[in-house]
Amino acid sequence: MPQLDTSPWLISILSMMFTLYLLMPIKISKILINNDINCYPSEITKSTNPWNNKWTKIYLPHSLPLH
Amino acid sequence: MNENLFTSFSTPTLMGLPIIIMIIAFPALLYPTSNRLISNRIRTLQQYLINLILKQMMAIHSPKGRTWSLMLMSLIIFIASTNLLGLLPHTFTPTTQLSINLGLAIPLWAGAVILGFRYKFKTSVSHFLPQGTPILLIPMLIIIETISLFIQPMALAVRLTANITAGHLLMHLIGAATLALFSISTSTALITFIILLLLTILEFAVALIQAYVFTLLVSLYLHDNT
Repeated sequence: MPQLDTSPWLISILSMMFTLYLLMPIKISKILINNDINCYPSEITKSTNPWNNKWTKIYLPHSLPLH
Repeated sequence: MNENLFTSFSTPTLMGLPIIIMIIAFPALLYPTSNRLISNRIRTLQQYLINLILKQMMAIHSPKGRTWSLMLMSLIIFIASTNLLGLLPHTFTPTTQLSINLGLAIPLWAGAVILGFRYKFKTSVSHFLPQGTPILLIPMLIIIETISLFIQPMALAVRLTANITAGHLLMHLIGAATLALFSISTSTALITFIILLLLTILEFAVALIQAYVFTLLVSLYLHDNT
């Protein structure tokens, strides 16, 4: 029975530990479980573009000169 | 014939490289994460299912036992997804390997038992002696309870391995029988094909049920010991 061949046991168990204790908890801890809508995280994402430091009127599409 | 039947359970290697690492890590790819409050349908569906399973599994536990919720959730999602992916043809199911199931069962069971011994020593030791036993039976009963305690991780591992392996073997055999019967007598092959369909439906159920049973038993051991 190939399950009783112990040579791949170490790599199987190590890869299972890696998946079960590292990958899956990271994926599952990212889901939001909260029944109170007021407690949801409400941080405003800061944009990190270097050219967008100041939002000026000239970026609004309707204020651009007509082509 | 025996060799051919069991080769689907040997650990996959590609030219000597162990690709089992990628096969075991693959189900984690199927659960996308996002930082958004509301995301697309598949993330919403997965969030809903995981919430459902979480509430069902962790309702019976005390707050101390609920610290294990992430562990138990990742356990049930891991086992359910590997079992379900194993129903596709030509895939390798990690939970058919005794090594992986022992590695799942022993640390979790040992963690629950050690937790019980550390924080509630008297309660966990008192589980060895049920209430109201006659005095003469006490030594024998303690031996029996100790054996039944130590057999728990073995039973967990072997139950999962045997169920999934047996299901896969049956599907292989009946599929081969259907194929062989097709050229001999088509009506018998049709009957065998219907058996194969029913078996596949059963295997879907078994895949999910085994994940549930494993996690339920671990959570029961946890409940005893928290």
